[in-house]
Amino acid sequence: MTIATGKAEARATLQPDRSGVLSQVWEHRADYAYVLPAIAVMLIVIAYPIYYTIELSFFNTPPGLQLRDKIFVGFDNYTAILTSQVFWKVTWNTLIWTLGSTFVSFVLGSAAALALHREFIGRGVLRAILIIPWVISAVAASYIWKWIYHSDFGIIGAVLVGLGLADRPPNFIDSVSTVLPSLIVVNIWREFPFAMIMMMAGLQTVPEQLLRAAKVDGANAWQRFWHVTFPHLRNVSTITILLLAVANFNSFIIPWIMTGGGPSNASHIWITHIYELAFGRQRWGVASAYSVLLFLILMTLGYFYVRALSGNERKDGSA
Amino acid sequence: MRRIRLGGAVLRGAVSTALVASLMSAPALAAPPVDLSKWSPEYVRSIAGTQDFDTAADCAKVTPLDYKGRLTFWYQGVFEGDPDLLRQYYKDFFATFRKTYPNIQLEEQALTYNDLLDKFRTALLGNAAPMAVRLQILGGTEFASKGYLQPLKPEDVGYSTEDFWPGAMKAVTWDGVTYGIPTNNETMAFIWNADIFKRAGLNPDKPPATWDDVVKYSKQIHDKLGIAGYGLVARKNAGNTPYRFMPQLWAYGGGVFDETTASPTYKKIELDSPQSKAALQASYDMYVRDKSVPVSALTNQQADNQPLFLAGQLGMMISHPSDYNVMLDLQKKATGADKDKAQTVIDNMRYGLIPTGPDGKRAVVFGGSNIHILKPEYVEGGKVDEPAAKAIICMWTSPEWSLKMAYAGSNPGNLNGFKTKWMKERLDNIKFLDVTTSMLPYGIPFPALPQSPEIMNIIIPDMLQNALTGAMTVDQAADDAAKKVKDLMGGGL
Repeated sequence: MTIATGKAEARATLQPDRSGVLSQVWEHRADYAYVLPAIAVMLIVIAYPIYYTIELSFFNTPPGLQLRDKIFVGFDNYTAILTSQVFWKVTWNTLIWTLGSTFVSFVLGSAAALALHREFIGRGVLRAILIIPWVISAVAASYIWKWIYHSDFGIIGAVLVGLGLADRPPNFIDSVSTVLPSLIVVNIWREFPFAMIMMMAGLQTVPEQLLRAAKVDGANAWQRFWHVTFPHLRNVSTITILLLAVANFNSFIIPWIMTGGGPSNASHIWITHIYELAFGRQRWGVASAYSVLLFLILMTLGYFYVRALSGNERKDGSA
Repeated sequence: MRRIRLGGAVLRGAVSTALVASLMSAPALAAPPVDLSKWSPEYVRSIAGTQDFDTAADCAKVTPLDYKGRLTFWYQGVFEGDPDLLRQYYKDFFATFRKTYPNIQLEEQALTYNDLLDKFRTALLGNAAPMAVRLQILGGTEFASKGYLQPLKPEDVGYSTEDFWPGAMKAVTWDGVTYGIPTNNETMAFIWNADIFKRAGLNPDKPPATWDDVVKYSKQIHDKLGIAGYGLVARKNAGNTPYRFMPQLWAYGGGVFDETTASPTYKKIELDSPQSKAALQASYDMYVRDKSVPVSALTNQQADNQPLFLAGQLGMMISHPSDYNVMLDLQKKATGADKDKAQTVIDNMRYGLIPTGPDGKRAVVFGGSNIHILKPEYVEGGKVDEPAAKAIICMWTSPEWSLKMAYAGSNPGNLNGFKTKWMKERLDNIKFLDVTTSMLPYGIPFPALPQSPEIMNIIIPDMLQNALTGAMTVDQAADDAAKKVKDLMGGGL
């Protein structure tokens, strides 16, 4: 055990410099050694692709040439993207898709969590049922919903026509105006259980004695929720919303399988558009430029996510 | 059921049309094993079963049967719209290959039409391609132009260039060099439900003669019976869409370029021509104005039309003869009243020639697949076992297997396949085969350009979707598509 002298302590306080950082690194050398393999793997599978994508975003890759024969075009890909009508259409679709899916999934998930937080007969069964959409494969769900929505033989259309509520089946996914909302409904159906689980976990952290004390003090149900429960859910809510937003921004399976981004690009979001540009049209350069822009957006969301997590940790540490 | 008097009609049509010249214009047509100028159902019947072939013996001359090696092979295989009969032939082929070449370790992978190109392109970028690949007819030029494929001609596997359709050889030729061998070639036909025609007040034995008639008939069927008239498909990134729209485009006198001429140059873009716009207008009229086609056409492919047709909810469509077998397969799976209903549809299923345009022009996509060998540097492991690759190519493109692997839906790439006993058997077993083989002289190959997959799988469906959804007018959609093709050909971003 080392006993620091007063002078040494003062020096340490006054000099949080490189030697301090280096000594800290040295002190934690074993920790760094443990994470080194993971970092090495990350460098290979994440850092290099990011570097290569950024590099590729400055090249034109016509379909008649191999990738190695790519042509340097500077920022032309970025200019082409930002001046293209499709970009703004796809961006608008992505915003509607991400915000719509995230917001409604979160609200529905939170409501379900609050409802299931109370003790009642069949709660376990109901909880299990509500989780089903989340555990079903997204691919299978997309095909099922495609048939449910089918503009000629979908079950929704058949029921509506059968009940005399419509003359012909509604056009859900073959119309430019209804396709995106229809896909968002499927996405919400699949995602709200995730929000529900997160919020149920958050609800477990609300101290029971605080709720009881508030009740004794005469607070009604809404006041107890707003002044006691909600503040405790703030962090988990932030994390849930950020995770949903990132997942939705990156969402691919549902729009790609159900519509392939159509009709007429009406359900193309960034990820599906990037996929089509790269793998369908071999515009690796433009697709890379799109990916770089997407990366920057997701990094920003990631920053807020990490900040929210750090905030949580600080709070937990001080508690 | 009315059987069209195909012999005379086809012969007259075939001789009179420049499309025949397009298919027969290659200089290699010096001495083909069959006389293409006599092509008619009668002629096809007359040559069927006239020659025997020993596949193993022929291929042993290319690769000894005791050759020891390893082969990775991807192929465009059967998919959900194919009949069970075809699945069985694919199984038989690989079993026979393994039996014939017991020392070749074969690692084959089947991919569907819509997935193959994307996966193959990705594998090539990572130098992880298979040693040999069987691609759709659209794909060969793209990969040959990029330098991924090894030169490969029929002579390399024991056949001669004249053994294959000249039009098909164009699709495997880039810059004067041959990079592959056709496995199968086909043209589709027009299918209609005679019972629906009768109930709609149409002559059940008379298919629409022109595309304008298709529009009229479709409306009449929809208005009278409340069901879809014509099985339009406009899904993006699906081969079914260009295979069904291009015949319409060409019939009206339009085109992407000048691909309908005998010696196309692919220089002038024709997608925005008045003729092309007229073809697009016909689709618009059916989908938007008359609402006489399935609403789901924008997300549909042919596999979605098949159950509609079997359910008696669709009057007309374009497809292969295999659709008849698909209907039989689907009918077997039906139960109760549905089974009888399906049987009624099958009994009333008719095949005829694809309608003409206003000027009497008849056209159909000359489709098919080709088989290729990759260059070693793009293959996983950096090595290609050429004798093993040639063994499977020899076998697949043999008269026997090029016929059997195309049994229900296509035709043998190797013209000698028409002479085999299996062709004779097939003519007796596969209903309506003579109709689709009669369409062969009207076949137009897709432009042999590396840009063709994007034009056919993305730009053409986009044009249709833009017009049919009202996102653009017909004129705007055609102009937009022409501009996209121009940008693409100019190497734009």
